[in-house]
Amino acid sequence: MPPLRDKFTIHSKAVVCQDVELKGDITIGSGTVIHPKATLFAIAGPIVIGANCIVEEGAVIVNRRREVMRIGDDNLFEIGCRVECPSIGNSNTVGTRARVHHTLRLSHYCTISAGCLIVPSSDETLDPYTVVYAGENGLCDRRIWSGKGKMQEADLRRKHAEYLRDMLPKFNRLRRGEGA
Amino acid sequence: MPSVHYYCPCLSTSPVPPPPDLESSSYSFHELHTLYFCTEPECMAIRCNRCVSVEVNGYYCPNCLFEVPSASVRAEKNRYGACARNCFQCPSCRNTLVIVASDPPEGSLSASVAAVGITGEPPYFLYCNFCRWDSTEVGITFEKATGLAGQLQKTEETAPDVVEFERLKEHFEPFLRAAPSGGIAHAHSNPITSAASSALSRDISIPGLSKYSALLAGRRGGRNDREKAGTTSKDKEELAEFRSRWETGAGASVAEGEVDWIKHLEDVGEVATIEQRWVGSWTTSMRERDLKPLRIPLHSKKTKRCPQCRHIIIKPEQKSQSVRYKMKLTASNFVPAIAISVPPPVASTKAVDPNAPVTFHAGRTYPFRLAFTNPMYEPTTVTLQVQRAPLLKGRPPFAVSLPSPPFAIAAYAEAWEYEDEDEDMADEDIDALLAGVGSPSGYTQPREVAKPKKPKTVGVLERKANTTVIGGELVIGKEGRGDAKFNLLVTHTYQAEDTAAQEGETEEKSTKTPTSRQAEVKTFSFYIVIDLGVIIPREKEESHRRDSEQMSIS
Repeated sequence: MPPLRDKFTIHSKAVVCQDVELKGDITIGSGTVIHPKATLFAIAGPIVIGANCIVEEGAVIVNRRREVMRIGDDNLFEIGCRVECPSIGNSNTVGTRARVHHTLRLSHYCTISAGCLIVPSSDETLDPYTVVYAGENGLCDRRIWSGKGKMQEADLRRKHAEYLRDMLPKFNRLRRGEGA
Repeated sequence: MPSVHYYCPCLSTSPVPPPPDLESSSYSFHELHTLYFCTEPECMAIRCNRCVSVEVNGYYCPNCLFEVPSASVRAEKNRYGACARNCFQCPSCRNTLVIVASDPPEGSLSASVAAVGITGEPPYFLYCNFCRWDSTEVGITFEKATGLAGQLQKTEETAPDVVEFERLKEHFEPFLRAAPSGGIAHAHSNPITSAASSALSRDISIPGLSKYSALLAGRRGGRNDREKAGTTSKDKEELAEFRSRWETGAGASVAEGEVDWIKHLEDVGEVATIEQRWVGSWTTSMRERDLKPLRIPLHSKKTKRCPQCRHIIIKPEQKSQSVRYKMKLTASNFVPAIAISVPPPVASTKAVDPNAPVTFHAGRTYPFRLAFTNPMYEPTTVTLQVQRAPLLKGRPPFAVSLPSPPFAIAAYAEAWEYEDEDEDMADEDIDALLAGVGSPSGYTQPREVAKPKKPKTVGVLERKANTTVIGGELVIGKEGRGDAKFNLLVTHTYQAEDTAAQEGETEEKSTKTPTSRQAEVKTFSFYIVIDLGVIIPREKEESHRRDSEQMSIS
């Protein structure tokens, strides 16, 4: 494996805190917020994050594959989650301390609830609006969300990101991309 | 694991517990933290959950903590005693549902995405934040975001199970009205069961409960009839036969339609799981998308009374938000807590699994320790007496030696009262400690049985704060087998400074201000059962050894 070469491209409107561990080739899109103590780890291939995503404290995003790991827009990665999906669409939520293996791809509007561990043995893509939640028997159950209320949720997500973009720079040093 | 359980004499008339090797004896013994204590002078006894009489103190919704008045639970015939406000459970994952507004119509989508601050609009629906189930899937929407239960009631009232339940209530109503005055109680001379049935009949008009208690009462009446053949029971006459509108076998016809559906099933996720359908009282659809939101059942706070003197033992505070008690007489505040430990053999080199059952070999002697902790503010003196089990045949499988003279346990004191306690630890205590540590050396020598006991294995081993550790010895006979389990009579004597303060003792310790200094010696005895472990019989042990030898050879 070739040695890691760090190359960070951070959009001028993104908020990436100083205390974030970045390794490898990473591109962060406009309006995305990355909290302190998050980890982005591009081991083999680069990681490209779209616009208006939120990556919370302790979240770990790893690309183990050679191809580009593309993360779409408006995704939320909650505290302490670990995501290794090769591709992630738009408006997904990965809950607190949930873990997603590199054999799973997320499409759009998927929800992985808190604490769920998803390790498919072969490559799998979650359909849009899939909800994975910890069912009563302790296993991860799946269901399809009707999508009702998604506009209100998108609005909430936008406000959430907007608030963080205002508040985080007041209390944290920010990291700038190499171009800035 | 060795264990100690306390005896509650409610199941028998004699104060002496049954021998511990009887299977049924375990029902009479309880863990200390589940027991209560009646402090009335005429009682002064341990009470268990099985013998106290329970009455409902108040109903509340566990979700919104709204206190539902008992009168309204009875009068309004709240459906299944469920929260009549806005509380619902997700049928899919049992999370609490929230009421949310719908998105604006799709037409305005492009415009509103740009605009920040989309506000929802009616109709409202129930939504699960966890698994994203929403009530539009089963066609339930609301015009207003308040009074959901009321809005839903209209649709629920026509459901077959609700109609049937109403009819059942109607059917049993005349019988129930007559029941508390006549019939049930007089058939039972046992005060415990009569207290229980009177507690049942007191709140008999709770819809959820009435069904069962009425059935129960009906059955009892029936049995009575058969016993006193010839005399007609009044109860029986009043209870006419109930005919269900729904034939019991009729569920099959519903299922037939589902057979077709299951034949064409592609995704197993569409079938509702047993857990999801379990709560339904009626035959429900098998389809996951037919599941209806569930009402959240009310919880109740309960008052517990002594079965003998009817004094209150447990009384929670009325407010549903509060977790405190107005009255809480638990046994752990009045009788010493006893913990047992069996020191592991020193000679063993294998790592000992703490959860593995303790085993003893026949023909050997084992030390064990009992730690007594005094919960009271008065120092107490404890005497132990092993109950001799009635011998059925042969020699007893084991013998237990415990110190026979009384020993003292210091009073309970708050943590800040223990200044410099460690420094003036008596020399004899240290000696005892050392002796206690050294004693298990006799463990590996089977000859120990014949020898006189070592002086410090049995006796007071350690005194620290309000805990006294006693050493005992288990001598297992050559033919010993079964469980090393024995009953022990514990008598503790203490000087109660002020009985009045004791009676009124609640959670607040401030009431413990002795006003009158008249010391009164009190004695309380109770039985415990000590389960030390399993005795490995001789022959089995030998086969064991042979096995292990063969193993080592091969």
